[in-house]
Amino acid sequence: MSGSRLLLLLVVSNLLLCQGVVSTPVCPNGPGNCQVSLRDLFDRAVMVSHYIHDLSSEMFNEFDKRYAQGKGFITMALNSCHTSSLPTPEDKEQAQQTHHEVLMSLILGLLRSWNDPLYHLVTEVRGMKGAPDAILSRAIEIEEENKRLLEGMEMIFGQVIPGAKETEPYPVWSGLPSLQTKDEDARYSAFYNLLHCLRRDSSKIDTYLKLLNCRIIYNNNC
Amino acid sequence: MDLWQLLLTLAVAGSSDAFSGSEDSSGNPKFTKCRSPELETFSCHWTDGANHSLQSPGSVQMFYIRRDIQEWKECPDYVSAGENSCYFNSSYTSVWTPYCIKLTSNGGIVDHKCFSVEDIVQPDPPVGLNWTLLNISLTEIHADILVKWEPPPNTDVKMGWIILEYELHYKELNETQWKMMDPLMVTSVPMYSLRLDKEYEVRVRTRQRNTEKYGKFSEVLLITFPQMNPSACEEDFQFPWFLIIIFGILGLAVTLFLLIFSKQQRIKMLILPPVPVPKIKGIDPDLLKEGKLEEVNTILAIHDNYKHEFYNDDSWVEFIELDIDDPDEKTEGSDTDRLLSNDHEKSLNIFGAKDDDSGRTSCYEPDILEADFHVSDMCDGTSEVAQPQRLKGEADISCLDQKNQNNSPSNDAAPASQQPSVILVEENKPRPLLIGGTESTHQAVHTQLSNPSSLANIDFYAQVSDITPAGNVVLSPGQKNKTGNPQCDTHPEVVTPCQANFIVDNAYFCEVDTKKYIALAPHVEAESHVEPSFNQEDIYITTESLTTTAGRSGTAEHVPSSEIPVPDYTSIHIVQSPQGLVLNATALPLPDKEFLSSCGYVSTDQLNKIMP
Repeated sequence: MSGSRLLLLLVVSNLLLCQGVVSTPVCPNGPGNCQVSLRDLFDRAVMVSHYIHDLSSEMFNEFDKRYAQGKGFITMALNSCHTSSLPTPEDKEQAQQTHHEVLMSLILGLLRSWNDPLYHLVTEVRGMKGAPDAILSRAIEIEEENKRLLEGMEMIFGQVIPGAKETEPYPVWSGLPSLQTKDEDARYSAFYNLLHCLRRDSSKIDTYLKLLNCRIIYNNNC
Repeated sequence: MDLWQLLLTLAVAGSSDAFSGSEDSSGNPKFTKCRSPELETFSCHWTDGANHSLQSPGSVQMFYIRRDIQEWKECPDYVSAGENSCYFNSSYTSVWTPYCIKLTSNGGIVDHKCFSVEDIVQPDPPVGLNWTLLNISLTEIHADILVKWEPPPNTDVKMGWIILEYELHYKELNETQWKMMDPLMVTSVPMYSLRLDKEYEVRVRTRQRNTEKYGKFSEVLLITFPQMNPSACEEDFQFPWFLIIIFGILGLAVTLFLLIFSKQQRIKMLILPPVPVPKIKGIDPDLLKEGKLEEVNTILAIHDNYKHEFYNDDSWVEFIELDIDDPDEKTEGSDTDRLLSNDHEKSLNIFGAKDDDSGRTSCYEPDILEADFHVSDMCDGTSEVAQPQRLKGEADISCLDQKNQNNSPSNDAAPASQQPSVILVEENKPRPLLIGGTESTHQAVHTQLSNPSSLANIDFYAQVSDITPAGNVVLSPGQKNKTGNPQCDTHPEVVTPCQANFIVDNAYFCEVDTKKYIALAPHVEAESHVEPSFNQEDIYITTESLTTTAGRSGTAEHVPSSEIPVPDYTSIHIVQSPQGLVLNATALPLPDKEFLSSCGYVSTDQLNKIMP
């Protein structure tokens, strides 16, 4: 009689204890082999995206100050970004109506589409005559962070939508010739445009990610 | 695309002036600001211009164009944002989309502008600013509070569409400069250590994260603490240095007073060591003060190597009595003369006269004896020595009386012959010394013999030059000799072979006398006769340079020169225990210095030594 009671007590206590446990295991072996909690993933992603947006804003302002005084307005107005084809929501209502899967795939598309331009941006800024170190260092930083964010977003996508294989095409950047043109003004204009687009897309990513974070993790109660 | 580019070029040409910041002297309306408070709507404002009155109302128009809608459209809402404004609600707002707007007046473009909505975000001020008390310090001087507010109501923070950053400003009521805190992402912040007796003001503003422009400030919140205990609290706790110094000085003063006036000699010695005073080892000055001479004497007796200071004892005084009233004595001069003269009759008379009633122990009048002694010289064993002398003295007295009568006539003759020699001896006191005996040479060296006739001339005070072991005192040569013979029995035997005028009967001899006596009786028999009589320890002999040994034997070695004058007072050179004194023979070349163990008493042996 006493033995069965003890067993029952043990089982109940185990159940109670187990319910309270929130497992947040650390991931020493890389992102593929362990489980990081979604909350932590989103926290990190939000941090990185915010950081990228800061860097890109600063880089744009630096460039604008040095190379595009008086000409930036035109450049901004006339050129468009290579990621404009993506159907990203343009206001809050649209964003609210967009499913988080779509949203996440859009984010991934944006991130993937910027891999190439960022790489070339660094190369070309390095080769630029008298390029200030502020622009170059930030360009390098942004490229690195973009890769990190992409990895994190892929992990989030795998957790939020398990089993989905996301292989949607993403916009390809083809502005390299304009970056490498001999015409200095044209080149500066191309740079300016690229940096402006980068700033805008980083803002989009940041906003979408925070939106998803509040929606998924905090249940629209940030 | 072509139309769009054309329009934008026009807009650029037109707006460059506006963006360069130059004043529009024409007074045309210009865009002042376009602002989106929540990333959902935006509004643009423009000025009226100087020529407001000239223009008809409604002539100013604003048009906008979006990249995706490539045509100019007029402002959808001129009213909602106020005058000279254009309000674009959420349906007209597209984030991340470039906009261009232009202002026209009477058909002419006066201003234009291009922007993106996410770049013009400027939130409204936060609302609901309030504070709550967290806790109050124990001293009831400071308090901690929590300031809370709400984000602008139109911002959708919950959904995360806009992320806001807040900045809190605070200051005391009477201050002019606001202090700001670091930007916060939360809508509450604690404020610590606010003074309860002061009032504070708080305001907060917000901006979208990653943007530069802050929104307007919220309403100022006044923080006032309800009056607690109206206790007079100090501003700051200042260390009471002043009080500490005062109390420290007082404490030190009290401690010093206690130490100085306390009976704790040990502590007192430690703090205030006494100045060392001259002191003789082994002798307590208190004993000297209190007159406990016996103790002092015992102490002195212990130390062999130290000079003894023989303290005057009143008991000595008893032994010496100077019969001042006797007319014979007075006529004959000072007491010293009396003592030193051979006029035993006189002395005996004196003694007899005095001794009858007083019952003194010694043969001599205490006054007379006193005259021969210096205060500083005292035999430590005087008291003990005096005892046996007393007994003998009493017997002597009776003897002396008889002998005085017998010898008086003979004594009278003697002094006369001895006077010249006496005078030679006497250096300090030119008093007629009646010295018994015919020995002149010796007299010159030695102290004057005690002569009863001249005893009257003896001074009141005479320095004790030496003390015999028995405790008898040897007076210095400056005074009369005092000789006494305690034993009457032997005296007649001794005296008779010698000169009649020799006061052999007397118990006291001075060394001169003894020497003389011995000289007169060069026979061994006489000496032998003399010896037993002088074996007594209680023979007072004054010498100036007696340095005889402790024993009575071998006084022959002491042969002080007789020609050398003798000072009245000689300092004690060495003190031999227990009752020996060695005087400094400053004027006399001593053959050797030996202690005179006998306190002034010279035995027959000593006499043998002395006499050549």
